[in-house]
Amino acid sequence: MKQKKQSEAADSVLIRRLYYFFHPYRWWAVFAILLTLTAAFLGTVRPKLTQVAVDDHIAIGDIDGLLWIVILLALALVGEFFILILNTYITRWFGQGVLFSLRNAVFEKIQSLHVQFFDKNPIGRLITRTTNDIEALSQLLSDGVVSMIGDLFRIFFILYFMLVMSWELTIIAILVLPILFYATFWFKSKVRVAFLEVRDQIARLNSFVQEHINGMMIVQLFNREKKQKEKFESINAEHRHAHIETIFYFSIFWPIVEVLASIAMALVVWYGGARALMDQVTFGVLLAFIQYVRQFFNPIRGLSEKYNTLQSALASSERIFDVLDTENEVYESELPKKLEKVEGRIDFENVVFRYNEGEEVIINDISFTAKPGELLAIVGATGAGKTTIINLLLRYYDINEGTIYLDGVDIKELSLKDLRKNFGLVLQDNALFSGTIHQNITLGNSDITREQVIKAAKEVEADNFIKKLPGSYDYVLSERGASLSMGQRQLICFVRAMVYDPKILILDEATSSVDSETEELVSRACQRMMKGRTSIVIAHRLSTIQGADNILVMHKGKIRETGNHRDLIEKNGGIYRKLYELQYKDQAVGTSTAIS
Amino acid sequence: MESLKKLNHYLKKYKGAAILGGIFLTGANFFLIWIPVLIRQTMDEVEALGADESAEFDSIITILFSSEAGAILAYNSLLLIGTVFLYGILLFATRQTLIVSSRKIEFDIRNTIMDKLLQLPQRYFSANRTGEIYVRATEDVGRVREYYGPVLMYTINTITRAGFIITMMIIVNPELTFWALLPLPFLSAFAYWVSGFINKYQLIIQEQYSRIAGKAQETFSSIRLIKAYNRIDYEQERFEEESDQYRKKKLKLDLVESLFHPTLNLLIGVSVLIVVWKGGLMVIDGIITLGNIAEFVIYVAYLTWPVASLGYTVNVLQKSLASWERIDEMLTEPIDILDDEKPAVEKKLKGSIEFRNVSFKYPGAEEYALKNVSLEIKPGSNMAIVGRTGSGKSTLINLIPRLFDATEGEVLIDGINVKEWGVQHLRKSIGYVPQETFLFSTTIKENIAFGVENASTEQIEKAADQAQVLDNILDFEKKFETLVGERGITLSGGQKQRTAIARAIIKDPGIVIFDDSLSAVDTKTEDAILEHLRVKLSDKTTIMISHRISTVKNADTIFYVQNGSIVEFGTHSELIKKEGHYSNMYQKQLLEQELAEI
Repeated sequence: MKQKKQSEAADSVLIRRLYYFFHPYRWWAVFAILLTLTAAFLGTVRPKLTQVAVDDHIAIGDIDGLLWIVILLALALVGEFFILILNTYITRWFGQGVLFSLRNAVFEKIQSLHVQFFDKNPIGRLITRTTNDIEALSQLLSDGVVSMIGDLFRIFFILYFMLVMSWELTIIAILVLPILFYATFWFKSKVRVAFLEVRDQIARLNSFVQEHINGMMIVQLFNREKKQKEKFESINAEHRHAHIETIFYFSIFWPIVEVLASIAMALVVWYGGARALMDQVTFGVLLAFIQYVRQFFNPIRGLSEKYNTLQSALASSERIFDVLDTENEVYESELPKKLEKVEGRIDFENVVFRYNEGEEVIINDISFTAKPGELLAIVGATGAGKTTIINLLLRYYDINEGTIYLDGVDIKELSLKDLRKNFGLVLQDNALFSGTIHQNITLGNSDITREQVIKAAKEVEADNFIKKLPGSYDYVLSERGASLSMGQRQLICFVRAMVYDPKILILDEATSSVDSETEELVSRACQRMMKGRTSIVIAHRLSTIQGADNILVMHKGKIRETGNHRDLIEKNGGIYRKLYELQYKDQAVGTSTAIS
Repeated sequence: MESLKKLNHYLKKYKGAAILGGIFLTGANFFLIWIPVLIRQTMDEVEALGADESAEFDSIITILFSSEAGAILAYNSLLLIGTVFLYGILLFATRQTLIVSSRKIEFDIRNTIMDKLLQLPQRYFSANRTGEIYVRATEDVGRVREYYGPVLMYTINTITRAGFIITMMIIVNPELTFWALLPLPFLSAFAYWVSGFINKYQLIIQEQYSRIAGKAQETFSSIRLIKAYNRIDYEQERFEEESDQYRKKKLKLDLVESLFHPTLNLLIGVSVLIVVWKGGLMVIDGIITLGNIAEFVIYVAYLTWPVASLGYTVNVLQKSLASWERIDEMLTEPIDILDDEKPAVEKKLKGSIEFRNVSFKYPGAEEYALKNVSLEIKPGSNMAIVGRTGSGKSTLINLIPRLFDATEGEVLIDGINVKEWGVQHLRKSIGYVPQETFLFSTTIKENIAFGVENASTEQIEKAADQAQVLDNILDFEKKFETLVGERGITLSGGQKQRTAIARAIIKDPGIVIFDDSLSAVDTKTEDAILEHLRVKLSDKTTIMISHRISTVKNADTIFYVQNGSIVEFGTHSELIKKEGHYSNMYQKQLLEQELAEI
């Protein structure tokens, strides 16, 4: 719905919205336009000056006068030089400024959006919005508009000077323009089609190459070398053909432009020559016209090119504003309550959640309580809704029915920041960022000192291995921690959770991807972290949760069993008991019977 | 220089077109200079006519259409238009020969590269990053083409045009020529500097651009964590830092770019200015005519682009050569898995496999991926390999179809060293289903019949049926003609794996290798496939790598691999009794299965 509405929005709306980002630079833009105007004048006045030099001075042998004109010419030239540089740089500068703020705005917006937005949109697309789509505006903003205005000024001045010198000759000189216009449009339309074909062919060729580099093993194992070579040759031939097609249009167009410019010159010489015989046109005028005819063609070509730039820029800005218009579905409370001292009590009361209206219920009428300092464990199969509980608690999603309380206060009444700061979260995929170990632990929070970091690291026994790394806490992680083992990465995530000293600790499958060597270490670290905190643990390994005060056994969005280990193990035919027996059947549990 | 020689080798085939193109371009430039000459001539003649006091010039119509002056003007103008047309036609012909040949040469080079890629051993693909090979086979070729296209054309153009124009200028007046040309070398040098700077800086900017994208990727993919720790502001700050860096770097490039056109303009302007000043003085002294000034002004304009392009061309040439060197490195890479000198063994394969003290090290790796592995399997038997990710399972089986050759020890098939078998024959006799299912983006039919020439429809359907994928395929609208991949439909992981299985068994191989190829297939389908294989492939040797006990438990021998060595082997029940690694793995899987089924 939203997308459709957007695409129907008129281009003028897009331009107005782009202008919002442009607004701070508007006086610079005015200045740039003034500079363009001056440069256009200085550039086009020079042939006129040569005319004066020839007619008024050279023709009568006035050397002093000639010198003056030459000095004027030099001034115009140098003036244009500096103004052009200044002008180009200023327009690029504010163009980059607009792009900079636009890019940051898009990033900020995406970051602030509700988590579900990230589930719905592939990361690649979001990256494209913050990079490619912004870049596509670059040409338009940095020199598109201003140089378009510049081109118009130039055409205007050239016409003005030509008309002042001789209106008849002006008409003669621009006789070929209709043909030029026609040729340009013919060329543009042909080349656009041809370029599309070339682009397709390049994509085809490249994806063939890419595919075959990746799948070379298969090609060789199946003895397909010869066949694939033939296939490549035919794609390659089509690629060549597409290029040769465009070469054809280019090799026709450029000569036509040259020929037209020269025909204009020939006409000027022919008619102007005759007028010169009647003493109505001077040689200086002829010379100036010859120069103007050449100058005239450039801005016209420039204008037709910029039209395309504008088109693609508008397409990109549409996508950008689409993101900027996305509504955040998790609302901040307008008058947030403040919690003075958080104890860490969590209550779920008849909580129901589904991703979208009318869709299947993910969390179905769930109620439970975790008292301060308690350890709550959640077990269940993949898709049972374990992680969703955590997503709801942290308000990544908002619930449809029921209430979630933190210390007796509805979490919707707290500000997101105040709510989330009470939690220490450790996830399964133990995400690390590029940067030093220290930065990864503090996440850039400068209030956390190195001492605090080391203290936290010692608590979970991560200090030992970190100290051994080159640069210890300042060791820079390459490729998001690829150089560390899974267990080490996990420990860093633990330190991160600890250093924030949260009231409530959440471990989501935090120990499942750890190799056997560090398993001991990690589970010891877990025990220490949980001390004095309310903890919610999702785990496959039952050993980590045996000591839990309360265990929720979830299945298809419902709590099927609840109680502590002892209660659950005594429940005959219970899910938990079955799990437990499975896991420990080889160890001497004694009472438990072997499963069939 | 060595590179240039090799590059010119590709040119040989198109020598005729290249020479012809050179001639056309020279011709074009020859006619081009007639334009200013004719203009000067007209102006001079008009001046002479105007000086003739006796002539009457009242009506423009009479002058243009009836008088002697009119005839001269018309003659000169028509001549001018005629020359311009010739110039245009020759220019067209130049592009049609020179640039078109460059595309043809590009075509040849691309074919050569692809041919080479198809022959290179897997060693090469594992030692070089895919991205790098890709760039060589694509972007680098594009840059090399520029040598045959723009570089060649601009060079000929600059030389011939400058040659003609300067000659003409000197004929008119050597002194004025000297002054008019004075700024031009600076133009060339400046263009060289600017285009070099742009090339270099674009790389830096590209890098910064990827950093921005990388930062966005990092943040967006860890959004839960960032929100949980309230680090949004910090991430914003870090992103803006990169964003700002990008802006700054871009502006540096912008600064240089914004110098380019104005400087070009200035130097040409200076040239014109000198012509007007020096030339003006000469006209006053009667050394040259006003027509000569007009002529010179046009000459200078004509020289602008060729002279500026000189600097640009040198840069393009440098880039072409660098790209060529990268390509050449690949083209001269040895293809080391070759059939030996001895006549290769091409007999029918029975299927016994033996590893004798085999060790293997990947190129450039420090540690051995396989350490002293010995094993033996009888023809027609079932072998399974299990072990953790990265333990060396895939490496081990890759030695059988000679994707790699053992570093030490030997691999024997039917008692003959694999190196003595004909490679093509050997591979034809092995049905291999790789770990990462790779299908080509073409029809399902072509994918299944990939290794068999002229496979019949029945054969394809039979293979699909055996791999339990036939029903799925028939459910698609276009059935076997369905396109796979980006432009077609996306198959599920299981469908892909089963298609790959069909592709392997259609070859009717003596040895079948499954590298964890049933991981995405549900257990029921897996049972059906395995059952089929047991019946149909009972006489074939099968090797199965798997993480799933259910897949391997019926194998004749199960090998447990750890850190490149075989640490346990035996039948399922033997290994369970041992209570070692295998039995441990078995217990874990039972649990997971149970969990999933609650």
